[in-house]
Amino acid sequence: MSDIHLTIDGRDVTIPAGSTILDGAKALEIPIPTLCHMEGHTPFTSCFLCVVEVEGVKNPVPSCSTAAAEGMVVHTLSDRIRQTRKLCLELLASEHTGDCYGHCHVTCPAGIEIPQFVSAIARGESEEALRILKRRMPLPSSLGRVCTRPCEAVCRRGQRDEAVAICSLKVVAGDPDLDGERRTVPECAPDTGKKVAVIGAGPAGISAAFYLRQMGHEVTVIDGQETVGGMLRWGIPAFRLPSHIIEREFRQVEQMGARLEFGRWLGRDFTLGDLRAQGYDAVFLGLGAQAASSARIPGEDTPGVMPGIEILAKASRGQEVDLGDTVMVVGGGNTAMDCCRTALRLQKGKGKVILLYRRTRAEMPALEVEIEEAIHEGTEMRFLAAPIRIEPSRDGKGLAVTCQRMELGPPDSSGRRRPVPMEGSEYVEEVTTLVNAIGQRFDAAALKGSEEVGLDRWGNIASDPYTGQTSVPWVFSGGDCSPGDKDMIAVWAVQAGHRAALAIGQFLGGEEIIGDGYEWYSTIGRPGDPAPKAILDRLTPAERARMPVIADAERLSGFVEVELGLGQERGRVEAKRCIVCGCLAVEDCKLKSYGTEYRIQPGRLAGAIRDYLLDDSHPKLLLESGKCLLCGSCVRACAAHGKDVLGFVGRGFNTVVMPSLGRRLIDTACDGCLDCAKVCPTGAIMVKPGATTSS
Amino acid sequence: MAPGTTASGDTIRVVVGLGSCGIAAGAQDVKEAFERLLGERQLPVTLGVTGCIGACHREPIVEVYEPAGRHVTYAAVTPERAAKIVEEHLAGGHPIEEWTFQGEPLKAEVDAYFGKQTRVALRNCGVIDPESIDDYLGREGYKALGQVLADNSPEKVIETLIASGLRGRGGGGFPTGTKWKFTRAAPGPKKYIICNADEGDPGAFMDRSVLEGDPHAVLEGMAIGAFAVGADEAYIYCRAEYPLAIKRLRIAISQAEERNLLGPGIAGTSFSFKVKIKEGAGAFVCGEETALIFSIEGRRGMPRKRPPFPAQEGLWGKPTNINNVETFANVPWILRNGGGAFAAMGTEKSKGSKVFALAGKIKRGGLVEVPMGITLREILEEVGGGSDTGKPLKAVQMGGPSGGCIPARLFDTRVDYDEVTRTGAIMGSGGMVVMDSSSCMVDIARFFLDFTQKESCGKCTFCRVGTLRMLEILERITQGKGKMEDLALLEELAVKIKETSLCGLGQTAPNPVLTTLKYFRDEYEAHVVHGRCPAKVCKPLLTFSIDPAACTGCTLCARVCPVKCISGEKKQTHVIDQTRCTKCSSCLEVCKDNAVVVK
Repeated sequence: MSDIHLTIDGRDVTIPAGSTILDGAKALEIPIPTLCHMEGHTPFTSCFLCVVEVEGVKNPVPSCSTAAAEGMVVHTLSDRIRQTRKLCLELLASEHTGDCYGHCHVTCPAGIEIPQFVSAIARGESEEALRILKRRMPLPSSLGRVCTRPCEAVCRRGQRDEAVAICSLKVVAGDPDLDGERRTVPECAPDTGKKVAVIGAGPAGISAAFYLRQMGHEVTVIDGQETVGGMLRWGIPAFRLPSHIIEREFRQVEQMGARLEFGRWLGRDFTLGDLRAQGYDAVFLGLGAQAASSARIPGEDTPGVMPGIEILAKASRGQEVDLGDTVMVVGGGNTAMDCCRTALRLQKGKGKVILLYRRTRAEMPALEVEIEEAIHEGTEMRFLAAPIRIEPSRDGKGLAVTCQRMELGPPDSSGRRRPVPMEGSEYVEEVTTLVNAIGQRFDAAALKGSEEVGLDRWGNIASDPYTGQTSVPWVFSGGDCSPGDKDMIAVWAVQAGHRAALAIGQFLGGEEIIGDGYEWYSTIGRPGDPAPKAILDRLTPAERARMPVIADAERLSGFVEVELGLGQERGRVEAKRCIVCGCLAVEDCKLKSYGTEYRIQPGRLAGAIRDYLLDDSHPKLLLESGKCLLCGSCVRACAAHGKDVLGFVGRGFNTVVMPSLGRRLIDTACDGCLDCAKVCPTGAIMVKPGATTSS
Repeated sequence: MAPGTTASGDTIRVVVGLGSCGIAAGAQDVKEAFERLLGERQLPVTLGVTGCIGACHREPIVEVYEPAGRHVTYAAVTPERAAKIVEEHLAGGHPIEEWTFQGEPLKAEVDAYFGKQTRVALRNCGVIDPESIDDYLGREGYKALGQVLADNSPEKVIETLIASGLRGRGGGGFPTGTKWKFTRAAPGPKKYIICNADEGDPGAFMDRSVLEGDPHAVLEGMAIGAFAVGADEAYIYCRAEYPLAIKRLRIAISQAEERNLLGPGIAGTSFSFKVKIKEGAGAFVCGEETALIFSIEGRRGMPRKRPPFPAQEGLWGKPTNINNVETFANVPWILRNGGGAFAAMGTEKSKGSKVFALAGKIKRGGLVEVPMGITLREILEEVGGGSDTGKPLKAVQMGGPSGGCIPARLFDTRVDYDEVTRTGAIMGSGGMVVMDSSSCMVDIARFFLDFTQKESCGKCTFCRVGTLRMLEILERITQGKGKMEDLALLEELAVKIKETSLCGLGQTAPNPVLTTLKYFRDEYEAHVVHGRCPAKVCKPLLTFSIDPAACTGCTLCARVCPVKCISGEKKQTHVIDQTRCTKCSSCLEVCKDNAVVVK
């Protein structure tokens, strides 16, 4: 047979007669995505991802099975083709019943590969666990103690017994590294010659420095305080997060070659212009939220009224603060709980601490465990009331706080029921100190002399939500000073620092600035949604490890850390409770990589999804038919192997690939050649870890 | 022996229509009643059966042929009526005219129904006994085959077919003669003929009627086709839901084999032809030729990419010619009467006649065969008698679930492959579902898509997932949860599904949605924007209330309400509690004072 000449994307190619358009594209090294095509097999033509346009043909044609013809003119990259492929992938993604990653992983603001680090602990490899953790989050010992744990809220195990103690396991992985003997710091790339200033040695800044150094950039961290830690140090009491942990963990960037400078404040001692003049190529602003929010009530400036962060900072520095015998803390967040517990300690257990919150316990944003600890240590909780006026008490020694009772109205924008004042319900409470723990905000004084940096509508530094880039191209920001619409917690700050580091790297390298980049991944439902029963049925009930704590008697006498940590052995047992949600094939899943490449948005096609079916019977293979694309590759591979174990069962949307007659894989003639798993474009058929071809 | 003639020339012959439609209407009981009555009375009357004559709305139908040549057709016969017919007509010699097609009041209706029809494919249906080869032979049966074998020129057969302009009646509309030519030209000694009798469109029963009423015509057409393309073996792929058709086919095959009209060395020539029946298991997609072939081969019924076409690589990899039942049924007539006679009917590109199954909101539902080129209006209003509800006709769905809704304002469209396609519908295999103003077009689109979505084989991504997503959107709209963006998404999905599906199912499944969006967009918008179903079909969008001015307080509605949400004292105005009303319509149905208002 003679050769055929055709043109693909404007390039001529000559291929043997009988070839397909896909063969022609291959000869030209023009990539055409396909999910159902297998080299050496008759084209199946089911996925329709490989469509191309042929001039003179009305509709797109599948290139895998369309014979190339003499003089054919083919286009593989037109808008129409791109849109068709995108819709194809969106349809496949919209029916896909599979978790690329654990829901904990996708919920973690920093994107920690949680099931992977937990598995490493379960195997007894805490160093490997630390390495995995630090790919996304360099401060496991610190954050492991204070994170609000969004990951644990969505842990699948929580739907059967209790969530895995993910956060405490970070400490299990991180603490051995701080004890002196071991020190795991990542390698840094050779110097790039670029200089970056990081303003703020809190979690955002140190995270940025950590990743910037790995890229080989010269990093100087400048902080106005006397040492590292930022709000984790000055806003969180040492009995929750001891200073020495912060000190050692944050200073790992020094070991990586970053320079740390203290006692210099942006806006007071220098400006961005000064940094430019000193030759810095880029700046990361991790300035934090230094100013206490005002309650906007009369008498707030009366002596005896103190912002919560001021007390916490003083306590952190070991300074004595005289609060008198009756302290009222106003607020319902974790800072308010910290203030209560700090006040109890400052009073050496001899005073009274009252917490006043305008809603009820159910609406408190503080973590349940923190509320419990505060009550356990002696805090009196008073709900549905708020201060409306503060005056000096008649004896002049304290404060007369006029409070008003509240009732709950309809939910507000945060979804919590709005407190509504009750007319004529005012009463007076006599206290020695009133602590306002109703929040902090960014203090724009830091931008004095650097006003070119734009602010957002909340008065914070405006930055791109994906890159952290501010209105000044060489200046990036993140964390509490630039929260955007996020409810900023420390782990978000770490993510912001990491993302900005990537963006700064791109900026310095002259690349497109995309930050972390786009990644499409699949989840079964939204994190926290009820899990398929088959997943929960795999769980053997096991009790969550209880955190050992110091004796009650020791608590209020000082600022010793209350939690003793799970320790390696208990941690390992706890880690084994994790069922490692996520897909074994995530690294080489074609649906995921094409979905990412085509930036699919399957949400617009949300509807019924494939049934979650699990066949775990085979020693080497794992079948999760919910992830099947019906490409038939495994069916053909199995037939080619002479077995015909797998086939299509059912019709239409409910079609699944499985052994016939409802058998499990173990009950078939399967000889474990694993060809099916090798050709599966997704994780519908997976080789179990450790399994090999030899039977 | 064909009815209309008699064995001895002096007995009356009674013929009961025993198509599935007749049987469903009670014809079996009628036949037994005649057997019993005739036996009891010892009358010199022979009793026979036939297939469907097409007037399904008047079944059971009984024909009476008298030796003197008088022929009357009784409609809607019951065992009781049979007794009276035996008494007054068969014994007494006086037909009961008001029950017959030939007498008033039915005559005008029957004239209108049959007046515009031209029966080619249906020429013997309702006339002959389908289980009697002699009846068929008496109507020129197998003469075309004999003539073809005598001429011994396959090329001439193909030329005649091409000259006739016959196009595939299964829906594809591909010129039959050309298809035969391709199969004949394909290399290889072994070729197959397949008769596609996997009629799957809801509301379509053309092929069933032909198979039940005139199976030999199909066999003869297949034999001629086999001779023309050089095949010696054939399969009839018939859905198992057609047991009567299969039974009559089996009888016909064995009768034809006995007479050497099928089997080895037909009529003393060297031409051999074996026909087998393959019963389909009910998958709609197996009506698609490549899926059908896989199914015969014992594989999963899933289409594959064409080319290669079955004419090149078909059953067991051999060249295969596939035509549908109606196409084959036309073939003997064309060979007997010449391609020109067939081509004389119809339009420039659509020749001959076409069988349609009329169903839905139509006065005279049934099977009609009309010349191509007739307008939809003539079929619906003259043959079909218009709406059976008194409400004006709104649209007709042509081509089954793969077809489209043609609105009333386009009823002057002629039955012609190209003209119908221009409306967005397709000629299809002949289903016509008629809708009046009480039909909600969004709901109709949802109904047809629900069918195709469930029948998708699941192979092609766009068809498998896309049709479900479209269905989900339509369900949302009919539940009052639609958004305007949904209409754009429906169109995006519809266009892509049509463009990127291997077979006709996916390529046409969006048609009902696209045509209703095109012609009845206002109804979609009424649902989405105003939360209103203009046809008052979509329950979640309706409110039932009681008009105080009309309510007499009879308490009937309150008593039938299954959720007890209607309150009111006797002789006082009643009120429906909207929060609990399930919109079941019970109150509406029982109210004698038209006081229940639906908005």
